[in-house]
Amino acid sequence: MRVVIAEDQALLREGLGRLFADAGHEILASASDADELLSAVATHRPDLVIADIRMPPTFTDEGARAATEIKRVHPEMGVLVLSQHVETTHAVSLVALGGFGYLLKDRVLDVGEFLAAAQRVAEGGSALDPHVVATLVSGRGDDDRLGELTEREGEVLELMAQGLTNTGIAKRLYLSERTVEAHVRHVLQKLGVPESEDGHRRVLAVLAHLGAMQPR
Amino acid sequence: MNNRRLSPLALSLFGLTVTIEMAAVWLSLGLEPSYDTFLYAVDSVVWAGAGALVASRQPRNPIGWLFCIFALVNAVMADAAQGWALRAADEGWRGSDAAYLVSSAGRQPSGLAWILTFLLIPSGRLPSRRWRAVVGLAVVGSLLTMTGWSFSAGLNDGFPSGRNPYAVEAVPMDVLFAIGMLLTVGAFLAASVLLVRRLRRSQGAERQQLKWFAFAATVATVVPPVALALWVVTPLAGVLIALMLTALPIAASIAILRYRLYEIDLVINRTLVYGAVTVLLAAVFAATIVVLGTALGRGSAWATAGATLVVAVVFRPLRRSVQDAVDRRFNRARYDALHRMTAFLDELRAGRAAPEEVEGILRDAVPEPDLELVFFLPGSGLVVDAHGTVASDRHKDGRERLLIQPGDRPIGAVVYEAATQEQLALVSRLVEAGGLAIEIARLRVELRHQLAEVQASRVRIIAAGNVERRRIERDLHDGAQQRLVSIGLALRHAQHELGVGASYEAGRTLDAAVAEVAVAIGELRELARGLPPAQLDAGLGPAFRELARRAPVPVLVKAPTERFDRGVEAAAYFIGCEGVTNAIKHADATRILLSAEQTNGRLVVAVNDDGMGGAAPVNGSGLTGLSDRVAALGGTLRITSESGRGTTLTAELPCGS
Repeated sequence: MRVVIAEDQALLREGLGRLFADAGHEILASASDADELLSAVATHRPDLVIADIRMPPTFTDEGARAATEIKRVHPEMGVLVLSQHVETTHAVSLVALGGFGYLLKDRVLDVGEFLAAAQRVAEGGSALDPHVVATLVSGRGDDDRLGELTEREGEVLELMAQGLTNTGIAKRLYLSERTVEAHVRHVLQKLGVPESEDGHRRVLAVLAHLGAMQPR
Repeated sequence: MNNRRLSPLALSLFGLTVTIEMAAVWLSLGLEPSYDTFLYAVDSVVWAGAGALVASRQPRNPIGWLFCIFALVNAVMADAAQGWALRAADEGWRGSDAAYLVSSAGRQPSGLAWILTFLLIPSGRLPSRRWRAVVGLAVVGSLLTMTGWSFSAGLNDGFPSGRNPYAVEAVPMDVLFAIGMLLTVGAFLAASVLLVRRLRRSQGAERQQLKWFAFAATVATVVPPVALALWVVTPLAGVLIALMLTALPIAASIAILRYRLYEIDLVINRTLVYGAVTVLLAAVFAATIVVLGTALGRGSAWATAGATLVVAVVFRPLRRSVQDAVDRRFNRARYDALHRMTAFLDELRAGRAAPEEVEGILRDAVPEPDLELVFFLPGSGLVVDAHGTVASDRHKDGRERLLIQPGDRPIGAVVYEAATQEQLALVSRLVEAGGLAIEIARLRVELRHQLAEVQASRVRIIAAGNVERRRIERDLHDGAQQRLVSIGLALRHAQHELGVGASYEAGRTLDAAVAEVAVAIGELRELARGLPPAQLDAGLGPAFRELARRAPVPVLVKAPTERFDRGVEAAAYFIGCEGVTNAIKHADATRILLSAEQTNGRLVVAVNDDGMGGAAPVNGSGLTGLSDRVAALGGTLRITSESGRGTTLTAELPCGS
C-alpha cells in the first residue's frame, strides 16, 4: 500500500511510519496538521490515509474534517482515522461513507489486526473500533431481538459491525468460514436485516439496525 | 438670591427711616410711655429693613418697595410728627397743632399698606385686572378716613390747644369717615378672601410662602381685639399690638425670601397647640380657683396652690390630646401617614406584612409614585433598591435625597421628587417611625444580595472545575496516552528489527512489554473516567451511552439529542455516573434505566434501578458533591428508595430552553 500519515506528535508519527514500513508498505509523506495532509494527498494520491482526529490548531476534530474533505474529493481513497477515545457520532457518520475506518490509537499495538483493518479500508471496506460497536450494542439494551442472539452470534454481530469479512471473523474466532457463514445468516435473520454479498452494505445494514444511522 | 448686597435706593430709604425714627425717639422721650416710644420705632425700622431686603433681592416685586415707602411714611407721620407735637407742646415750640394733625391720621397709611400686601403676596402681582378695583377702593377709603378723621371737629380733645384749628364745619366729616371706614373694611375683607382663596389653590413652594404670611396675618387679626380687651386690665397690652406689627413684616419677608428655611407647618402647629393649651389651662385654673375659693373662702392661698397643682397635673395629658386633635384636624396627611405606619408595623410584627412594603407606605404618604427606598450595601459599596436590584445611578439623579442614618453610617436613603419642607418633614418623621421595618428590609436585601453572590461564585467555581477537569482529561489522552502508544510502537519496531532470527525469549519479553503498555493505557483511560469524558463534547446521549457500555449490567439509555449549557450537561453526566455506580455497588441492580428528559425548561435526569432499595435519602460524599453541583445550577436532587422496590435518583436542572 502507498500510505500518507497525518499525526501531530513526532514520536508517534515516526512509530506509525516504521510500523507500515516494517510491513512492507510505502510511506509517501508524513503531515503534522490538516493543511499539510490535504496538500500531501493532492500530491501523492495514496491508497490509504492515516489521520489523527485531533490536530492543531484547536485539537478537536481537524482530522475528521480533513478526512471528510478527502473522501469528498477522492471517494475511492481509503481513510483511517485514529482517535484517543471513543466518539460515536464522528465514527459512525464517517464509516457510513465506505472505505473508511475509525480506530482507537492503542489498536496499533496489536500490529496484525491493525494492519488487517488498514488493508480492509484501503480496499474499500470498513473498520469500526470494537469500543464504538460495543457502545452501539449496549445502547440498544431494550432491543428484544438482540436479546434473542446467542453469545457466539453476538460476537459475530460485533465483528460484522467492526467491518470484518466472514474470513476475518473466522480467523478471529478460530472458526471455519462455513460456521461463520451460518452464524451470520442466523444473526441477520433474527435481526431482520437483508442479506448482502457486499461487505460494506452489510456493515451499513447492521449499523442501521443498531440505530447508529438511517438505513439506505 | 445671588445678590447679597442691598440696593442703594432701598438702603437710602432704610437709612432715612432710621434717621427719622431716631429723631422721633429723641423728641418723644419722656413725654409718653417709653415702651410706646421704643417699640413703635423698632416697628418702623424692622418694616423698613424687611422692605429693603425684599427690594434688594427681588427688585421687580413691588412688595419690597411698598414696605420701604410705607415704613418711611409711618416714621414721618405716626412717630416723628407725634414726637414733634408732644415736644413742641411741652417746650412751647411752634407747629405743635400742625404736627398733631399729621400724626392723628398717622396709622392709616399702614392699614392701606397691609391691605395692598394681602393683595400682592407673595409674587407682587394681582390675580387679575378686576382686583385693581379693590386697590382703588382701599386707596379712596384710606384717604376718606384720614380726611374725615383729621378735619373733624370731634378731634378737639387731642390738640394741645384743646380745639382742632383745622376743623371744617361745612363738610360732614363724620359721614366721610364712615364711608371711608366702610370702603377700607370692604377692601380688607376682599383682600382677606383673596388670601384665603390663594392659600387653598396654591401648591408646593407658593403654598409654603402663603402659609407663612397667612399665619402672621391670622395672628395679627386675632391679637388686636385681645389686646384691646386687655387694655382694660393694663395699658401694657399695647405692647402686644406693637410686637404684632413688628412680626408681620418679618413674616412677609420670610414668606417671600426664606420660606424654605423654617418649617411653617411646625410653627403653626405649635402655636395652635400651645395657644389652645394655654387657654384651656387658664380656664382650668380659673375654674379651680372659683370652686376651691367657694369652699375655702375667697383669696385663700390654698385655692391658688390647689389650682396650680391641678394645672401642673393636667398639663402633659392635655398637651398630648390637644396635639393629637390639632394633628387630626390640621395635618390630616401626617396624622394618617403615621397611623398607617404604626398599623403596618403591627402587621409586620404579626408576620402578615413584608418589611419591603415600607417603601409603599412612604410612597403613599408623600404622595409620590416615584419615591424609592435605596440601601447602601457595606463592603461592596453598592446601592440597591428594596428588591436588591442595583440602583447606583438612580440615587444621585438630582432628586431629593433623605439619608437614613440610625447609627454612625447611613444605611440607605429615600429618593423622591419633592420640593416642600412639609414633605421632607413628613418623610423624615415616617422614616424615624418605620425604622424597624427599614432596618429589617435592609438586612433582607443585604442577605439576598450576598446569597446571590455566593450562588454566582459557586457556579463560577464549578465551571472552573469543569474546565480544569476537561484540561486534565485532554492532557491524559493527548499527552501520556500518546506517549505510551509511541513506546509500544517503538517496542514493536524493535521486535521487527530483531527479525525471525531473534531468540524466543527476546520476542516474549517485548510482547510482555507491549502488553504492559496496553495495560497502562487502559489504566489511564480508567483514570480519565472520573472526569467529564470527551464524549460529553458530543452531547449527553453519547456520554450516557459510553457510561452504559462500561457498566457490567444492562443500562438502558434515554437521552435528548439537543444540547444544553455545558455546566448543565456536566452535572447531568455526573448524576448519571453516581446513580449508575451506586446502583451497581450498593443495590445489586440487574437492570438500570438512565434517562434525561427536557420538560418545561428543566432537564430531568433520572437513574432508576431494580435493586434492593432502602437507601438513605442522602448518604455521604458522592451525593453531597452532586447536590452542590445541582444546587449551584438552581436545581433539585431527590432520592426515592423504598425497601425492595428499587431506587430512583432524580435531579431537575433548569436548562433555559
